[in-house]
Parts: sequence; C-alpha cells; structure tokens
Amino acid sequence: MSRNILETDGPEWVRRGVITEVQREQLLALYPPEANAIGLLPLLGSLLVLLSALSVVAANWQSLPELLRLGLLLATLVAAYAGGEYFRRRGNTNLGMGLVALGLVVFGVSIVLTGQLYQLVGYDLTGLLAWAVAGMGLTWLYRSRLLFLLTVIISGIVQGYNTGQLGVFSYLTAAGTALGLGYYWWRRPDALLGGVLAGGLLWQAALLINHLHVKITWFFIPAMLVYALGDWQADRPAGRALQGPPLAAAFLFTLGLALFGESDFYAGQLRAPPVPYLAALGAVLALSLVGKQRRGRLSGATDWLLLLPGFYFTGGLPLAVATLVVLYAYSGSVLLRAHQEQNPDRVTLGTVLFVLTTAVAYFKLTWGFFDKSLFFLLGGLLLLGLSWWLQRRAARTQATANAASALNASAAPKP
Amino acid sequence: MTEPLVSPLNPVPAAAPALPAHHRRWLLWLVAAQVLFVLGVAAAGYATAALGRSITLQTEPVDPRDLLYGDHLRLHYQISELPGSLWRGATLPRRKDAAYVLLEPQSPGDYAAVGIYPAAPATTGQQVVLRGSVQDVWRRGLRLRYGLERYYVPETMTRQMRHRRRLRVQISIAPWGQARITQVDTLGVVR
Repeated sequence: MSRNILETDGPEWVRRGVITEVQREQLLALYPPEANAIGLLPLLGSLLVLLSALSVVAANWQSLPELLRLGLLLATLVAAYAGGEYFRRRGNTNLGMGLVALGLVVFGVSIVLTGQLYQLVGYDLTGLLAWAVAGMGLTWLYRSRLLFLLTVIISGIVQGYNTGQLGVFSYLTAAGTALGLGYYWWRRPDALLGGVLAGGLLWQAALLINHLHVKITWFFIPAMLVYALGDWQADRPAGRALQGPPLAAAFLFTLGLALFGESDFYAGQLRAPPVPYLAALGAVLALSLVGKQRRGRLSGATDWLLLLPGFYFTGGLPLAVATLVVLYAYSGSVLLRAHQEQNPDRVTLGTVLFVLTTAVAYFKLTWGFFDKSLFFLLGGLLLLGLSWWLQRRAARTQATANAASALNASAAPKP
Repeated sequence: MTEPLVSPLNPVPAAAPALPAHHRRWLLWLVAAQVLFVLGVAAAGYATAALGRSITLQTEPVDPRDLLYGDHLRLHYQISELPGSLWRGATLPRRKDAAYVLLEPQSPGDYAAVGIYPAAPATTGQQVVLRGSVQDVWRRGLRLRYGLERYYVPETMTRQMRHRRRLRVQISIAPWGQARITQVDTLGVVR
C-alpha cells in the first residue's frame, strides 16, 4: 500500500466508518513521506555542474598532459567511492549506492582510457577481467542488488568484448560470474536477481557456443544447468525466476524450429552428435530431477518436454509435426499445472503460449491447402474461439481462487 | 509519534547501518586495489616505452574511413601475413596457437620477419622477438595477430589521414615481451 492511497481515500474510509480518524493517523504514520523529494533540486543542480565539468574535460581530453588525465580518472574514482560511503553513513542509502555504482563504472572507464592513453590493447584479458572482479567484490561487500545487476551487465560486456574484439573467450570471467554471483544468489535468493543472472549466464553461454563454432544446440547444456540450479534452490519464487530465461530460450528455439526447421539446411546446423549431446543432456536432466524430487516439485518435470530433441528427425513434415507436438505438450502442461495450482498469472502465461503454438501450427500445416482469404478467416475464428474458451477457464480459476481466499479471510478472525 | 517504528509492516527500508569496521577495511582495500590496478596499467605502458627496444614496422595502406566510425585505425602490418615457409615448428600451427616472430632490420631501417617459432627463440645482435597469435592457417601462409592492430589516433594526426597511406609504426618491445606502439608516421599517399 502506498501513502498516496491513504491520503486520498483515507477521509472517505473514516466517513464510512471503516476506520476511525485515530487509526487513519496511525496508518499514515506507518508510511512516512519520502524524505528525498526535498533533496531533488540540489541533486539536479549538482548533476548539471558535473555534466558541464565532464564536457569541458571530454572536449579537451586529447590536449591534456598524460599524467593529468590519469590523475583526473583516479580522482573521480576515489571521489565516487568516498561520496558513496559518506551518503550511506548519513542514511541516504540510494544516493550512496548510486555513487558506489558510479565508482565501479569509472573503474572500467579508467582501465579502457588508460589503455588507450598508452596504446595498450593487445591480447591482454586481465584488464577487463579486473573490472568484473571488482564488481563482484563490491557486490559481496555491500550486499547490494544494484551492484549485483551492474556486475552481471559488466561481465556480459567484458565477455562480449573479449569474443568480439580480441577473439578469445575468457573462461575466468564466465566462471567468476557463475560462481561468484551464482553463490551470492544462492545464499540470498531473489526473483529479480535470479532472472537477470540467468539472462547474463545465457548470454555468455551463447557467446561461448558462437566462439567455439559448435552446433548451436549445445547451448542448451549450460542453459539447462542454470535451470537445474533453480530446482535445487529452496526459495521457490527465486528458483522459478532463474528458470525463466532458459525456458524462454528453449520455447523460442522450438518455436523457431517449428517455423523454419523443415529446410534441412537449418536443421543441419542444429544436430550435435547424438551420443555425447544426449548423454550430457541426460546428466543435466538427472541433476534437475533429483533437485525437483528433493524439493517435492516433481510435477515441474514437464518443463523438460521442451528439450525433447525433435531436431534429429530429418526434413520436412515429420520435424514440423514433432516440434508442434512438443510445443502443444508443453503449453498444455503449463495450463494444466496452472489450473491445478489455481495460479492466475500462470494461466495467462499458459494461454499465451497455447495461442502462440496454435497460430504457428495453423500457419505451418494449412498454408498450402487453403485459399488465402479462407485461411485468414478460419485462422481468426480458431484463435478467437480458443481464446474465448481459455478465458472462460481462466475466469473460472480466478473465481475459485477468489472464493477460496474469501473463505480463508472469513475464517481467519476465528481463534 | 516520537518513538521509532520497528513494525515489520514498515515498507520503507530503514537507513542501512554503516558497514561494520572490518567491512570498511575491505572497502578500503578494494578501492586501493582498483587505483593500483589503473596505475599498474599506466606503469606497464610507461615502462614498456622506457625500457623496451624500439623497432619500426611498415603497415599496408590504412583506410581513413575507420576514423568516421571511431577514434582508432585498424592497422595491418606487412608482418601480419607471412609465408608458411618461415614456420620453424615441428608440426603445423593451429588457430590461436602462440607464435614468436623473429625480426631483423632490413635496408631502409624497417624490420622484417625471418622466422616464426612456436616458442621464444634465441636472438643475436640486432634481432628482436615479437609475440603474436595465429589467426588463420592456409597452405601457403599464416595470418598473425600481435595486439598492435589498433591505434588510437591523436587529434593532431587526424587531418593527415584524409587519404589512404602507408604508415611507419614505431613499436617498443619490453624485455618481458609486452609491446606497444610509441609513434606513428605517415608515408606516401597510396592512390
């Protein structure tokens, strides 16, 4: 609840006798007005001053003596950290953490600019690796979500630069991200951080697959390892968030396979050697299943339907049909579980996936047979009908959930 | 309402307590390490120029359009592509292998490759060794990368870079193997 609602609707509640005036004041006291609104003007003012200083320096950067440039970079670095610590101690946490994050960014900029100053680029990876390591150190030190997010992004940038510009993959950066940040998330589970961490790890896994020039389906081995980690996490929402990106990747991949997979040229790029690939995937599956079983969530094993290696079917219709079956099985299982758990959000998700799959299936299987106008008419009708039916199911689920919560609420005051 | 609120309902995070003393010490170390790292990068650059041996290399003509997209030029040296006959290893090199190129001064003062080795070779007299990595191998030659392919162009030089020119690049090679560009001169315009 926000203070705004209390302020605007509170008098009305008092008038209707929902709460008394005293209770309204007590409630208001629970949500003190935010203090930083007053601090905004000086903040904006100093930001403008800072920007002007920045543009003066940037415009004359080339003509400044080397040592002065180095001194400016280091002074900014130290000032940002010191300012961050100062404001944190005064209780201004957000501003403080913002400045610490700025310090981390300035560290990266300093490494790059100093390298340019002395024409040092080369095959030297340590420079940017140090940036990611500094981010991890600060994340652990401050236990800060902002720094965690920043470090995931920095590691992704470092890895992208390594593979793109220097032509090497830094295994140390990847391992650092997975272990340093992964362990942090493991100890302090958090949904947002889980999603971002999984996204960052998948990005690095994709860069690795691209760098090694191996078949792209190998991507799903590290991706599903990330997924399996989510199974072992005791905190359910955080685990689910970590599993989101790998599942989204697998779903999109299968959807793409259904759409474009019939040409053997594309499918040929996908087929990793079956024995090692399936063995590796099986090992990850086992790891995931043991995790699910330990945490009593074996019903979630249906997620693995997306990983059925349909792409080993050769050519044309069998492949399209196989992938469509997989997609239907998956989105159907999401819907089914959502109805069982009576979880409205997941019902929506399942509905979207189901409709998406149906659209692809219709597009794939009937394009050749129908006159085009009839195709669009029937397709539209099919989607409308399907969404109507699914909405009705969703509404029913919602109603049951509401009734259950109402029942709980009315039962609650009893001893 | 003068007493502080300790209700679990309170959605406004309480002011974060200042870091405990040992955390503050860790922070100091971390910031000091970052400052030292940046200083180390600078010192490595400075020392490479001050203590290294200076050689000059010629580049292939440089495309000035690079400068439209950024502040650096992509340099392609004459020793970036070398004939396979210079390879002195027992087995053929593969991509990403290290390669040590033995250089000798030729008549106009620029250095040229006389051999490519899988490990650092011994040098005599005027010879120097430049470390690189193998980028590509084909039947008759090798493409190598030295980490010197990028030159951040100072503004004073930008005006001279309107045309395709060959460049003469002065490189300093430190005793510990690190190399950096110390100076770049433009040669004749290539039509």
